[in-house]
This record gives sequence, C-alpha cells and structure tokens, in this order.
Amino acid sequence: MSEKKIAYYPGCPSETTALEQDISTKAVFDKLGLEWVEVEDWNCCGAAEAEDPRLVYALNARNLAIAEKEKVPSIVTPCSICYYNLARTNNALKQDEKLRAELKALDPALDYNGSVTPKHILEFLMKDVGQEALKSKLTKQVKLKVAPYYGCYLGRPPETAFDDPDDPVLMDQLIALIGGETVPFSSVKTVCCGGPLMMTRADIAFEMARKILETAKKAGADCIALACPLCGMMLDAKQPDIEKALKLSFEMPVVYITQLLGLALGIEPSKLGFQKNVVSTKKILEKVG
Amino acid sequence: MPIKTWELDQNFKTEILNEPGGEHLTACYQCSTCTLGCPISELIPSYNPRRFIQMSLLGMREQVLTSPDLWICAICQTCTARCPQNVVVGDVLSAIRRIAEKEAHAGKIKIESPRPLFETAFLHTLQKYGRLYDIGLAMEYYPKREGSKVKGMMAMMGDYKDFGMRMFMHGKMGPLGGGSPMKGMLPSKIKQRDVMVKIFKWIEEKEKEEK
Repeated sequence: MSEKKIAYYPGCPSETTALEQDISTKAVFDKLGLEWVEVEDWNCCGAAEAEDPRLVYALNARNLAIAEKEKVPSIVTPCSICYYNLARTNNALKQDEKLRAELKALDPALDYNGSVTPKHILEFLMKDVGQEALKSKLTKQVKLKVAPYYGCYLGRPPETAFDDPDDPVLMDQLIALIGGETVPFSSVKTVCCGGPLMMTRADIAFEMARKILETAKKAGADCIALACPLCGMMLDAKQPDIEKALKLSFEMPVVYITQLLGLALGIEPSKLGFQKNVVSTKKILEKVG
Repeated sequence: MPIKTWELDQNFKTEILNEPGGEHLTACYQCSTCTLGCPISELIPSYNPRRFIQMSLLGMREQVLTSPDLWICAICQTCTARCPQNVVVGDVLSAIRRIAEKEAHAGKIKIESPRPLFETAFLHTLQKYGRLYDIGLAMEYYPKREGSKVKGMMAMMGDYKDFGMRMFMHGKMGPLGGGSPMKGMLPSKIKQRDVMVKIFKWIEEKEKEEK
C-alpha cells in the first residue's frame, strides 16, 4: 500500500443527501490507516450542469491546486461525476499550457501544475491500496447477494475511464473480496440511472431507475451497491417516489460500496451511516450479523 | 421530413466546430452506433443523436436548435464511448445546446424545455456560494419553470414535500443526525467566493468574444 498522504474531495452531496457516503468513506480511510486531508475550502466541480468545458476546467483547477499545495500524489473522490470533472480538467491542463497560464492570470488560486492524479474511490481502493492490503485488514464476511451498479463515468468516456466500458469488474471484485456474492446484473450495471434528468424530465428518469431497481429485485439481490451520490439520490432517496409514481414495490436497499467495505473492516454500522440510507438497511445488517 | 435546401445554413457546422467540445463533428460517418446504444433513444423513439449530427452537417440550424429532444440527453457518455470515429458525441450535443441557449438569450428562438433554467439555477448557486445549494436552486428553478412564484412553490412542494421529509427524518437535512442543525437548509459557503465570481465573469467574457 502506498504510504503517502492523499487529498479527499467529498463533493457537494457529501454535506446533505449523500452524508452516509462521506461518513463511510472517511471511516474506511481511517480504518485502513491512511493519512488523508480534506481539500480545504473545496468548491463544486460543476457536475453535469456546467456544460462549457472551460467552466469545468476553471472550477476544478482550483480544487486541484489546493490539493497540489498539500504535496499529495492523488486526490480521491467518492463521486463519479466529480471524478470525471477532476480527471478531464487534469488532462486538459496538463496538455494546454496556454489555458494553464490564462487561469493563473485570472487568479493565483487557479495556478495548477499537473502534479496530482484524480482517483475515484473504487479505483483508489482496488488499485492503489490494492486487494492484498485490503484483504489483510478484513475482519468480517459480508455474506450478501449484491447487485453491483457502476453507472456512468467509471468505464466511460475513454479519456478518463479506469474500468471496462461494457463489463466493469472492480466493484464485483471488491464484493467478492469481502465475502459477498454478485447477482447477474450485467444488463444494467453501466446503464445511466436517469439522475441528470430528475429535475427536468422526471418521467424519463423514473423509467431509467425502474429498470435498474427491477433487475436487482428479479435477480434476488439483498441490496444494490454503488459508488456515486447522484445514483444514490436516484435509486435510494427517490425510490419511494418512483414506487408511488409507477405503482410498483421494490423496497430495495441501496448502499455505498464504502459502507459494505466498512462492515467487512469491522466498523460499526452506525459509524458507516447505515441509519441514513432512505430504504431501510435493517434486513441486510441482520443478515451480515 | 422534407429538407428545404434554401433554408439550410451552411455555416452551422462551422459554428459547432468552433464551440469547445464540438471540434470532432465532421468525423461522423453516420453509422448510428451512438443512437443504438443510447438509453434515452430506447425510451423516447424520436430521440436520435445520429440525426442531430446529420441535420447539423446539412445546416438545418433552426430545426436542430429548437428541437425539444436536444434537452433530454442524460450525458451518460455511452455514445461517446462507443463512437468508432471519436466524434465525442456527448460534447457535440452539449456544444449544440450552448448555441441554442445563446440564441434563446438573444431572443431568436424559444427553447421548449426547462433544462436551461435548471442548469442556470444550479450554476447560480455555485457562483454565489461556491457549492451547490439545493434549496436555493429549487427556489429559483420552480418559479421560473412555472411562470409564477405561487405556481412554482406549489410544483416544488408537489415534487419535494415527501422527499424533504425523508431527508429530514434520516438526518441528512436539518438538526437530526448530528452536524450543523441547519445543514442543507442554509447554503454551505466557501471562503474564496471571489474566485467563483472571477471564474463566471471570465466565461461570460469568453462568450462575448465569440460573438
């Protein structure tokens, strides 16, 4: 395992709707004995709503520059879209000296020299910390049937992807590592949850989410695992709304992969935010014991 | 649909090519891989990224910019990932949406979708606070979408009454579950908000230069 300190970029939902993701990510970092520092005074990455790439580059240059001052090799985020925006900014700024100079001239806070590598939490855990190191710290088997949901931005676009675009495996491997079993889920595991359309075309967004929830249910999953707060919002926090609108019942627990890993590392469920998931996680916690 | 050649705008493709993200438009050879893999096309048969590109290349500027389908892309990047010509389809569509927004701003077209209002409200919270502020976003978005403050508030309550209660009960917003008692209710503000203001001003100036 890398001994070096990392910068943690939580992203906006970490303060509210995805509180349990933030709590469990930090708890996992601590349990793994990692030295980490939250990016001080971090700003929003622009999410999917900043459609002008230049706006994305400027917003993320500031976060990368703050991390760079900490002299850390990587900036780790548990959000897929934050990852995408950080990673494409890093690529763009490394290649474009003129843009770098322009941003630096705009404000010294945007002076970034390209020394920090953005990492999504899943990639960081599986590739940087590594399976062997993780395995050595596990104290509990998480014997659950899990539907691994990757969503967007982990396997695509190719420019920033770190897993296979059609059949990503890192979450499947992590679930197997902690003693879980993955259910057949490849038909939807990389299909968009509809999150970006929730506020403007809820009808389409609900249909997209339905497909994922229904597939998990039919496959006999105890829960869906994911690694993005927007997917969490759509599949967990909005699940009762989807059930009501489409007159369906799922009652499918949706948890962050860091919550499941935390259990395997022997962390108390209350310290992993399991009481904050909207769909009750009681049954899965009982099953894990 | 019949194409009226005398209405075509030959410069439209150049306009897209000059927009950040639109640079690869002309590499498209119309194979339709983008559309066949698109999760939105699967649900909404009229939605067709390939056709947007073809229409843009032909110069069907007005039809492209006023299509309501332009605003139902989920930005999931499946089209981009699968394109054999590296057109970066997602970014091309985003570039077209930005042109449409500029045209709507100038009063030249009307956009039949609330999405620009949503994106603008979202970005306004970043500009002001440096972070997303959900309640502030909703308070701007819903009244604009519904055309009045009262109707907006009613629509917002319809969509978010149950959801808000869920967030409250699970301690994600408000005093339950530790942290600040007002968490999520008030904006989370960064210290260097002046940098946000500079960034947004810089973008605005860039857009002016392009005109």
